[in-house]
Amino acid sequence: MPDGIDVYSLFLIIAVILLIAYLLIDTFTKKPKKKEYVTRELLKCAKCGFSVEKEFEPGDFIGLVKDKCPKCGGELRVEGIYSVEKEKILKPGNP
Amino acid sequence: MDGDTSSMIMQLIWLIFFFLIITGLNQKIQTKIWIMDIRTKLNVIMSLVEEDRRRVANMLRNLGVAAPDVLINRVVDFFTIEPVEIEPTDIIKRLDHLVRTTDESVKRMVEATVPHVGRYEKTLIESSLSIVGALNTIYKIVRHYLLTGERENNWILIMQLQFQMPMIMKIVNTYHEALDAFSTGKPIGDAAGPLTVHRLIENGQVVSRKVVDETSIIELYYKDRRVFVIKAEGPGSNVGHPGAVLNKLVEDLKGNVDLIITIDAALKLEGEETGSLAEGVGAAIGDPGPEKIAIERAASKYHIPLRALVVKMDLREAITVMRKEIFEACYKAFKYVDKIIEEETKPKATVIVAGIGNTMGVPG
Repeated sequence: MPDGIDVYSLFLIIAVILLIAYLLIDTFTKKPKKKEYVTRELLKCAKCGFSVEKEFEPGDFIGLVKDKCPKCGGELRVEGIYSVEKEKILKPGNP
Repeated sequence: MDGDTSSMIMQLIWLIFFFLIITGLNQKIQTKIWIMDIRTKLNVIMSLVEEDRRRVANMLRNLGVAAPDVLINRVVDFFTIEPVEIEPTDIIKRLDHLVRTTDESVKRMVEATVPHVGRYEKTLIESSLSIVGALNTIYKIVRHYLLTGERENNWILIMQLQFQMPMIMKIVNTYHEALDAFSTGKPIGDAAGPLTVHRLIENGQVVSRKVVDETSIIELYYKDRRVFVIKAEGPGSNVGHPGAVLNKLVEDLKGNVDLIITIDAALKLEGEETGSLAEGVGAAIGDPGPEKIAIERAASKYHIPLRALVVKMDLREAITVMRKEIFEACYKAFKYVDKIIEEETKPKATVIVAGIGNTMGVPG
């Protein structure tokens, strides 16, 4: 070892640098992105069982008759209102 | 740099460390860092309180209230003093009286401000105001401990607050998110109980319906059993008084009830799955006491088996818009109730099924 610095000091300096680097990485590492949820409502025809998922409209509640069934003309009722992850939204049609 | 210089620098560093530790300055520096962090988080809480206040004010303005701040300021700082606990005689009666007086007082304040709107909208206003009130209380308590800790140089107090801040922020964010559901009338996770019994009503042959004390009693026939379904009157934001109503119903039936089932949302432990079901014995209800004890008293007085079914979720899921997993769990819970009724009772039996929780978005 050159006469400038001893082994003990070198070890200490490296340890301190590693510790600071670890703490900085840990502090600034991006946390997993928060899941985004959207509210959907499931409409279901009690007559033929047709169901479709749509966006929630304020004032709607479970059991409300919203529309006519496009298949049999029966009542399309709100079967459920729930939140789902934005990526998992069902496409219109028979699920 | 020669060996002597580096050795001197190292010694100086150690001396500084030693000096900081001996004088307690390191602790002061640490406390200052904690205070800065708490202050930043406190500002976040303040901005959320202000945002939610504005949302409720806009909600009231849309309903024609010219000065919404009058009502908001009044309800947000409204408090209830707990009954005396060292004298337990009739404490439930006194607690029940105070809880009901609180509810009725807030209802009257809202009624006086928006007499022209329907009961449904009024319940949403009441719940939204209570959320702003809860957030404002958290803000004031955190600020109180921060200022006290700073003034008294109490680093233990600051340290405790700093370590509790992540949990507090989680609760604050949960309440903030919950406002969306309460201001628009979307069902929340806590509606698992009312939604499960709603499925039972849909599948049974309804004989009669009546509303007592903001609570619906629906008499129906299901699989040759006489079933009384009890739930808060919906679809507004309402928890009703299921305990008191159940007690009265059991008395009206002179104790001729073969089974009581209560269904509620329950806080899950970390690691448990959202929407998982668990059954047991007892009154599944999370009120301060009066409703729960009323169910227990009715069941024990006439030796009626008291069964409980819970749908597991965390606090965020319980008071924000119902997750799809919980919605689907309600179908399973209905099947479970069906199974318990068939296993525990014979045809022609009388059963009471109570769906406990906030019925917002669930009719009946």
